[in-house]
Amino acid sequence: MQEKYIVSSSPHVGTNLTTKKIMLHVIIALSFPLVAGIVFFGLYSLFLVALSVAGAVFGEWLYNKLRKKPITVYDLSAVVTGLILGLNLPPTVPFYIPIVGGVFATLFVKMLFGGLGKNFANPAATARVFLALSWTAQMTRFMPPINYSTRPLDFFAGFKNICSSASYITTATPLGTIKTSAQTGFLNLNLLDMFLGRIGGSIGEVCSLAIILSLIYLLVFKIIDWKIPLTYLASSVIFTLIFYKKGYNFILPSLLGGGLLFGATFMLTDYATAPKTFWGVIVYAILAGLLTILIRRYGGYPEGVCLSILIVNILAPLLDKIFKPKPLGFVKKKRKTIKEGL
Amino acid sequence: MFKLTFKRGGIHPKEMKDLSKDSAFEEMPVGAKVYIPLVQHIGAPCTPTVQAGDYVKVGQKIGLANGYVSANIHSSVSGTVLGFEARENAAGRRVRHIVIENDYKYDEAFLEPLENPSSEEIIARCKEAGIVGMGGATFPTHVKLEPKNPIKALIINGSECEPYITTDYRLMLEKPIEILKGVDLVKKALDTKQVFFGIEANKKEAIEHIISHVDDEQLSVFELKTKYPQGGEKQLIYALTKEIVPNGGLPSDIGYIVLNVSTCLALYEAVYLGKTSYTRYLTVSGKGIKRPANLHARIGIPYEEVVDYLGGANEFVKIISGGPMMGVSMHNLKTVISKGSSAILLLTEKEIRDVSPTPCIGCGRCARACPINLMPMLIDDAVLNNKIEKAESYYALSCIECGCCAYVCPAKRPLVQSQRLAKKLIREKNLKK
Repeated sequence: MQEKYIVSSSPHVGTNLTTKKIMLHVIIALSFPLVAGIVFFGLYSLFLVALSVAGAVFGEWLYNKLRKKPITVYDLSAVVTGLILGLNLPPTVPFYIPIVGGVFATLFVKMLFGGLGKNFANPAATARVFLALSWTAQMTRFMPPINYSTRPLDFFAGFKNICSSASYITTATPLGTIKTSAQTGFLNLNLLDMFLGRIGGSIGEVCSLAIILSLIYLLVFKIIDWKIPLTYLASSVIFTLIFYKKGYNFILPSLLGGGLLFGATFMLTDYATAPKTFWGVIVYAILAGLLTILIRRYGGYPEGVCLSILIVNILAPLLDKIFKPKPLGFVKKKRKTIKEGL
Repeated sequence: MFKLTFKRGGIHPKEMKDLSKDSAFEEMPVGAKVYIPLVQHIGAPCTPTVQAGDYVKVGQKIGLANGYVSANIHSSVSGTVLGFEARENAAGRRVRHIVIENDYKYDEAFLEPLENPSSEEIIARCKEAGIVGMGGATFPTHVKLEPKNPIKALIINGSECEPYITTDYRLMLEKPIEILKGVDLVKKALDTKQVFFGIEANKKEAIEHIISHVDDEQLSVFELKTKYPQGGEKQLIYALTKEIVPNGGLPSDIGYIVLNVSTCLALYEAVYLGKTSYTRYLTVSGKGIKRPANLHARIGIPYEEVVDYLGGANEFVKIISGGPMMGVSMHNLKTVISKGSSAILLLTEKEIRDVSPTPCIGCGRCARACPINLMPMLIDDAVLNNKIEKAESYYALSCIECGCCAYVCPAKRPLVQSQRLAKKLIREKNLKK
């Protein structure tokens, strides 16, 4: 028997889930849409995502080094940020965009506000908005998916345009089609293609099937709570019905097009920036759905997921304050004193 | 199937009850000396009634309750009082212990057994015998038996939701008649007819065994969902009656009294056998002990003798008095068995929770696990930044310290510790006013 024992506060047992394991689960879930993106847009997509991850990890490492703090990159949260940002980029962007975006996401949005768990806005969403404002043309140039039956070698073609994306043949995304046909209420989109991902769009958001698998994976392993994604999707459906002419035609295109599913699964559910109270979470997800549909329908951009996520992120602490839970069996103090007085 | 449970939160830790659930109670042999702590309960310490050199008998009162919320203590052996010694008790505090040299004669000084006691006699006996809540909370039982409000129903707690512990389970299997007789005594003392007996679903045999011995139409046995903290007083009341005890109030405020099965057994022994509270049933378990077992032991036996009796220990890193969720970790094996020792656990490195905290990632698991509906991460953040008022505004005082929040925390933050700190600082602040 040894001389000294551990003396610490109860409880003495606990789950073996750690922050790092949670991040690993998210990375596994993110790999589904990543694989789909590589299949549809070629190997260059993987290169872009890898650069984004490298940028994000470098940003966090650099901050630790400059501030002489312990290196925190081993918890893998920077990898998750890099992956989410990378999957949010069009598959045609020049190589420097993901690097700048990755460094911006961790160094400025995450580390400067206190690091893991302390950032007030989603680093990947903020970085994407920052990139969209800085390189608007490049960030809105979407290519059609590779046609393997006629041009299989396109799988490696992306590397030819590593410095500039000007030479790509671009395609309209379903969101653009939705925007232009919102007035008429008539829509001609192939829903099966949208579900499988045979459409133009960002690397990770095109394949709804892969994202739904990720969502199920994360829900099964209880990495995310069902409330945020499901409320957000439900609220998006309801506001689509309200704001679109013949809204029922737009429900599935709204859900399957653009980053709505991806945002619901990976970005809105970001632990640090979501509220923690039950009703806070519900209102947060409803508001996010409202803002997404409003921006898509009436805003200047075809896509509103990232912007609406950023706005509700900022509201999250306020929502937590408003919906502060009462302990079980709570009795108002005032009433008690009146009774005693009588 | 839908099973009765409490309203919200809760966890299901690894049960680990298989280690000891099949071993019947053994009589723990006593060594040459016993050390009886003067504080074995919640409330004021006892005043010793013996001096060094006095001869005492088994069951003789040696410490007098100090005030209403306190409990007498009794000698567990016969022999000579050697003196007093400051030692760490099972709650982790240094208190005075009475050291008695065992003469191995076991001369008994029991109280007069009662045949058909009245309500007052039962309560007086409970007080005299120094019975406290044997589930681990050690609240003096006679205080509970004299509630201010009329009691609608008595609730018997057989849930034993803490992992590892199998004391109550074994008692329900081995002493069902005695327990039910003890329940009858409590009914009489409280002048109530209705009894709800709650047992967790992982103790199917105990449920069947108790049901087969019941011949009282107003005693109903309920199977509860296996979920921690099902045995918490307020959680148990909600599970069985769907009524919520007001925040900061007592179960008796809404007409219920909750007693543990081993407390009922102690009351039975005190009334019908005249035995004072100088022994207890306990589980010794954990991967650290060579032979996990259930013991019937006299109070005042040091843990090291228990470990020796059970064949020694493997490599272990933590000694716990009580269960792994709410028990207290000990500095060494010199601590003695006292009235509240429901278990002694020797845990190995693999069994215990990692205690090096990392930053909170805000996942909200603690808030979802909290049975009281608190926000542990916000209280943690407030108290670590010295914002006591903010911690109070998040109702830190309502925390029951069940440990669910820290159990689920992926960042391994010591959340219970910060809730305790918050409670202490809030109370200090309110006292200053």
